[in-house]
Amino acid sequence: MKDTKKLFYIIVGLYLLIIFFPFFWVFITSFKPESEIWGSEALKVISSNATLDHYKALFKANIFNSLKNSFIIASFTTVYVTVLASLCAYSIARLKFWGKRLLLAAVLGTSMFPQMIVVGPIYRAFVGLGWINSYWITLPYSMITLPVAIYILVTHFTKIPKELEESGMIDGASKIRIFGEIILPLALPGIFTSAIITFIGVWNEFLLALTLNPNSSYHTATVAISFLRGQFTIFWGQVTAATVVVTIPTLIIVLVFQKQIISGLTSGAVKE
Amino acid sequence: MKKLFNFIEDKLGYVLIIPALIFIFAFSIIPIAESLKYSFFDFQLNSQQKSGIYFTEHYNVTLATETFEYVDYYLDTELEVVEKSKTVEQIKTFRTEMISKEEEVLNLLETNEGIIQVSDSDLEFIHQMNKWVYDGLEKIYSNDEPFVLEEDIFLVASELDTSIIVPNFIGFDNFKHVFLDLRVRYALLITLIFTVASVSLELVLGLMVALIMNTAIKGRGMVRTLSLIPWAIPTSVAALIWAYLYNGSNGIVALLFEKMHFIGASTDLMLTANGALISIIIADVWKTTPYMALLLLAGLQIIPRNLYEASAIDGAGKIKSFFKITLPLLKPSILVALLFRTLDAFRIFDLIYVLTGGGPGGKTESISIYAYKMMFAQTRFGYGSALALGMAVVVALIAYFYIKVLEVELISD
Repeated sequence: MKDTKKLFYIIVGLYLLIIFFPFFWVFITSFKPESEIWGSEALKVISSNATLDHYKALFKANIFNSLKNSFIIASFTTVYVTVLASLCAYSIARLKFWGKRLLLAAVLGTSMFPQMIVVGPIYRAFVGLGWINSYWITLPYSMITLPVAIYILVTHFTKIPKELEESGMIDGASKIRIFGEIILPLALPGIFTSAIITFIGVWNEFLLALTLNPNSSYHTATVAISFLRGQFTIFWGQVTAATVVVTIPTLIIVLVFQKQIISGLTSGAVKE
Repeated sequence: MKKLFNFIEDKLGYVLIIPALIFIFAFSIIPIAESLKYSFFDFQLNSQQKSGIYFTEHYNVTLATETFEYVDYYLDTELEVVEKSKTVEQIKTFRTEMISKEEEVLNLLETNEGIIQVSDSDLEFIHQMNKWVYDGLEKIYSNDEPFVLEEDIFLVASELDTSIIVPNFIGFDNFKHVFLDLRVRYALLITLIFTVASVSLELVLGLMVALIMNTAIKGRGMVRTLSLIPWAIPTSVAALIWAYLYNGSNGIVALLFEKMHFIGASTDLMLTANGALISIIIADVWKTTPYMALLLLAGLQIIPRNLYEASAIDGAGKIKSFFKITLPLLKPSILVALLFRTLDAFRIFDLIYVLTGGGPGGKTESISIYAYKMMFAQTRFGYGSALALGMAVVVALIAYFYIKVLEVELISD
C-alpha cells in the first residue's frame, strides 16, 4: 500500500516536471545573452551574465501593442457574446418555442464545423467592407465562442430550481421580470464561467486573426509571436522573452479563475 | 409601449434567441453556404478572369478602357519615332477609329466601369472589335519603322481578350480533383496518423493522471490548477516553445533525443518527415493530456464511493474494481472527451502552422494546412473551399460515429 502511494507521487511529480520544464527552460533562456543561447553554454541553467536586453527589444517588436489588441478584441467579444448567449441559453433552457431542437442542432453543428470553411467567405466579405486590419474581427469571433457559451449556460440555467420561477409566476410577475430579477442573479456564477471561457477562446484564436488582421499594427498576440520566427535566423532570446510576456496574462487568468474554468470545461462533459 | 411589452412577454422565447440567431446566421450559416458556392467554381482571387463567381459571360469594362488608354498612349509614343508620313497617317486614323469603337461599345453597354454581364450579341461585337484592334496593330507594325514598343503594345492589347470573362462554373470538378489529388491523400494520411496517435496517447496518459488525482493524494488541488496551464496558453505560443526545445543547434529536447539515440543527430528532429511528425504529436500530447485528465477526473468524481466499498467487501481487488466499476461508469465521460478531442485533432492547424509550417518539404501538411495554403497562398478559393468541405464531411462522420456509440450507451443504462 505504501509503495503504490510512493509510485503515485513519483508519477505525479514526473507529470508536473514534464508540464513545467518547457516553461522553465524558456524562462531562463529569456535572460541569457544571445551568445550564451548558442554553442557550448546553451545547456547552462543559470547565466552568469543575465540580461534584460531581450525584454527591452520587445518594445520595438510590437509585442506590447499586440497584447493591447488581443485585450481589446477579447474583452469586447466576451461582453457581447456573453449577453447574447445568456439570453439565448435561458430561452433554450426554460421557455417553450417551436424549433428549439433545430436551434440546438444548429448551435452544436456549427461548433463542430472546421473553421477553415468560413474563413474564405468572411475574408472576402471583410475585404469588400474595408474591415481588414480593424477591430471588426470581433464579430466573426462569435462563430467560435457563441456555441460554447450557449452550451455552458444552458447547463447552468437548467440547474436553477424551477420552483423559484413558479413562485414568481404565482405572484404575478412577468416573464421578463422573472428573468431579470430572479434568474439572472442566480445564474451569475455560470455567466461568469462562460465569460472566462469565451475570453480565453478569443485570446488564443489564431486562424481568423492571421487572415483578417495581417497588418502588424493590428496583430493579436498569438499572431505577432508567430511572426517572431524570422525567415533565416531566429533570435531565440527575443522569442523566449516574448513567450514569457504573452504567457503571463494567461497565467494570471488561470490562477485567479481556476474554479470557473474547471467548471466551464467540465460542464456538459459529465453526465450528472 | 404597453403593446410592445406584451408582445415581448408573449413571445419571449423567440425574442431572446433572435440576437444570437442573427450572429449564427451571419458568421456561420451564410459563410458555409458561400463556401459551398465557391466550391463549384474555378474561383481564384489573383486571376483577372476568375476573381469572381460567374455563371454567364461578363465583360471587365474597367480593364478594357484602361487597355485602350495604354494602347493609345503607346501609339502616341511611336508617333515620335516613326519616319514615313504614310505610317504617321495610318497610326492617326487607327487611333481615331479605335476611340470611336471604344465609345460605341461603352454606349452599347451603358457604362464605363466595373464588371458587367453581357449578352451574346454584345459579346459578338466585343470579339469583332478586339479582332479589329489586333489586325490594325499588325498592319501598323508590318511597316519598316524604328518602332520602340512593339512587344509591349501587343502584350498590353491582349488584355482586351482578358477583359472578356467566361463563366467559371465547373460543377463537381473541384471535388473530383480533391479525390485525385495525391497531396490530399498524403495530407489525409498525416492528419489521421496525428489524430489517432495523439488522441490515444492523451487518453491513456490522461486517464492515468486522472485516476491518481482521484485517490487521496496531497496537493491534489494544486495539481489540478497547474494542469490548466498548458491547456490555457495559446497554441501558437506552445508551438513556439516547442520549436525552441526542438531546434537542431541548441534545443534541449533535440539534444536529449540525440543522447538517447532516438535520432542520429539533433538536427534530424525537425528536418526529417518522421521526426517532425513525432515532434508535433509530442507537443500536442504535452498541451492536451492535462485537459483530458481534468475532463476524466470530473467524470471519476461523480462515481459513488460506496460502489467501491461494496466491491471491496465482496473481495474484489483494485484491478477488478477498475474494470468492473470505474471503466463502465466512466465510459460516457471518456466518449465525450474523445469526441471533442478527435474533432479538434482532425482540424489541427495552429500547432503545425507555427511549429513546422507543414515542412520539411510539405511532409507534415495536415488537411487544414493544405486548404489554408490553397486559399491564402495561391488564392484558389474554389479548390480550397472544396477541401474544407471535404474535411467537414469527415468531421461530421466522426461526430456521427461517436454520437451513435454514445446513444447506445445511454439507452443501455
